[in-house]
Amino acid sequence: MALVTGAGAVCALGRTSQEFYRRLRAGETTIRPFTTEERRGLQATHVARYDSFTPQPEIPAMKARRFDRGSQFAILACSQAIAEAGYDVARAPESVGIALGTGSAGAGALTEFLKVLFTESPEAAPPFQFPNTVANAPASQVSIELKLFGPNVTITQKDPSGLNALLFSSLAISSGRACAMLAGAVDEWNPVYAMGFDRVGALKGEKRPTGIVQGEGGFAVLLEEEKTARARGVRPLARLAGIGTAGVPTEPYRFAPDPAAIRRAILGALQAARTDPSGIHLCFPSANGVVEMDRAEENVLSEIFGGAVPPRILVKAAIGEMAAAGGGQIVAACRALADPDGPFRQSAQPRRVLIDSFGAGGNFFAAVFESVT
Amino acid sequence: MSTRRRVVVTGLGAVTSIGSSVSEFWKNLLAGVCGIRPLSLFDASTYRTQTAAEATEIPDGFLSPAEKRRMSRADRMGLAAAAEALSQAGLEASREDPTRVGVILGGGTSGLIDSELVYEAWLQGRRGRPSRVLNHLPDAITDRVAQRFGLEGLKSTITTACSSAANAMGYAYDAIVGGLADVMVTGGSDVLARLTYGGFNSLRSVDPDPCRPFDRERRGLSIGEAAGILVFEEEDRARRRGAPILGEFLGYGVTSDAFHMTAPDPSGSAGARTIRAALEAARRNLSDVDYVNAHGTATPQNDSAETAAIKMALGSRAREIPVSSIKSMIGHCLCASGAIEAIATVMTVREGCVPPTIHYEHPDPACDLDYVPNDSRDVPVSLALSNSFAFGGNSSVVVIARYG
Repeated sequence: MALVTGAGAVCALGRTSQEFYRRLRAGETTIRPFTTEERRGLQATHVARYDSFTPQPEIPAMKARRFDRGSQFAILACSQAIAEAGYDVARAPESVGIALGTGSAGAGALTEFLKVLFTESPEAAPPFQFPNTVANAPASQVSIELKLFGPNVTITQKDPSGLNALLFSSLAISSGRACAMLAGAVDEWNPVYAMGFDRVGALKGEKRPTGIVQGEGGFAVLLEEEKTARARGVRPLARLAGIGTAGVPTEPYRFAPDPAAIRRAILGALQAARTDPSGIHLCFPSANGVVEMDRAEENVLSEIFGGAVPPRILVKAAIGEMAAAGGGQIVAACRALADPDGPFRQSAQPRRVLIDSFGAGGNFFAAVFESVT
Repeated sequence: MSTRRRVVVTGLGAVTSIGSSVSEFWKNLLAGVCGIRPLSLFDASTYRTQTAAEATEIPDGFLSPAEKRRMSRADRMGLAAAAEALSQAGLEASREDPTRVGVILGGGTSGLIDSELVYEAWLQGRRGRPSRVLNHLPDAITDRVAQRFGLEGLKSTITTACSSAANAMGYAYDAIVGGLADVMVTGGSDVLARLTYGGFNSLRSVDPDPCRPFDRERRGLSIGEAAGILVFEEEDRARRRGAPILGEFLGYGVTSDAFHMTAPDPSGSAGARTIRAALEAARRNLSDVDYVNAHGTATPQNDSAETAAIKMALGSRAREIPVSSIKSMIGHCLCASGAIEAIATVMTVREGCVPPTIHYEHPDPACDLDYVPNDSRDVPVSLALSNSFAFGGNSSVVVIARYG
């Protein structure tokens, strides 16, 4: 498995991974009520947008105009991860790649393009918007900005997209396709998408006690082949120890609170990490406000840990739910493992954390990271 | 050299503008049938062009009327292709360990052709049909395939524009080699939508007439739609159960141009890097390559850059081997193109016949390879490449070999 040598975060809870983790630990949340303007026609009442975001000073204003919001998040988060790792991309750009998960990248450009197409004419639709309508725009803009010549993919598979991208990255390294991968996730909040999610009953609100609160942000870690990271003499944040996954055959938009699948994903991650439940010292549950899913996860965690579930950090209660939230969990888990005062249940070494990420459509992922001595 | 699990292809399924099964698609490819016709899925009269390669028939008779109503066109096409591929492979979830069978597809537009109408309704102050947005995200088809066939393994959807399906096949290959699965259903399904049709037109990248890859007079692409599904299986397992082995997936190269969001690197160096990465991953040499199934979009920029890439990567071998673009017949099927072209490549190595590049009349000095103009050709092919180059510089090349 590979080492994490740098992390980046750009969301309402922090503009660096350190700030994000510190405020997460402090129990802060960025979930707030919709403004009247935002809420038009929605039954949903809350959101976790990054209201004060500006890409400056890292990206000059004139240049920033070329990038959509998701790309701006991704460029900043990935640049932070590379900087913290002290990685010299130019030394071997072919060996550095990127895999990002997303559920909404391109939404802003897509809705703007279609708006002109429908309200004016296809001929009036702005060509400069079209390239940013593709969901791979953020990862590609990062690769252009940072001059990464290695693997470059974007993955969409519901809420666990970030962990799915982590799995792709880990395979890219183990297969020798890359020595280092930026792995993470990015999402932008979009009013049209919010309307869509609201109309199909996915958002928590005044008419629905169960459902998600949408967020936005960008998160990334630099995952490095252990041998080359050690040779660089870098101090890693964590080691990726194992990933587990399970699927349930169900409608793409339905949640399937299937205990067997949850168990299979978690135990798969533990097995890949060559540990058992007693070796887990901190949990980042999937818990996202979908009551039946949260309840099923809680029951399985209690069963697996024999009623003594390790301390939990609820990332989605702080930044909302989105495909990118898994990226936030990964970043927070790695920061926690590098924090000597992290909220672990015991001081045994190595410390290990479990991340759960479950989504609609029967998509279940879990991952285990461990401390590096 | 270490041994690693080998990945063979045991099933193929296709829904295209020139055939709703692999056999029909292949027969028409070799005959040079063009599926690019006047667009009928939506009113294109106000767009700059009016042609596309629409799927003419979706063999989805196994779905109930209620299921058809719930599903998008892309879902139905993807399921029809998956049914054909799984049937050929002789795989049924009830006889397998479903947790070892996964689905990784390439996707992009998915149910956009429906959700666009909801957005249009909202812009007009109408409510629209909310259920039409349920299939908007590209991962819907992946979930549908797993649902329909009872598959419980790894699921993923790669969305890297025109290289989506090629990258999906690569991820599926890695999953089997890495021991995460024994069988993967992979490929892609992508359908026409106003966004993509209007988008490429806004870039002035669409030829009003059927596209002419590598021709000096080429004026852009023709947009198409297709579903292409391949069943990948670990070799020993496939042999043990006596599955039909149609070809071997030797590996893939995936790189980033890091050049420009829409323009390819004109020098060809980025594409060449991907071809070399693919051959390295496949542990083969450039002298092993017998055929290249080109990305060949027919845009002025792509075809010259791709020609330069093939020459840079393969050296003198580039002039000795056939290179063809089936987009001249089925259009550019965007996120599914890598899958449908991989199916054509599997059939090429299996049958020893190379499909042509049709509409080719005027040689271009910047495109000076053997493009198999207008007529298919019998050529023994042991190993072939299939190129996919996408918006964002997402490049992928897959390596497919005759089995045995």
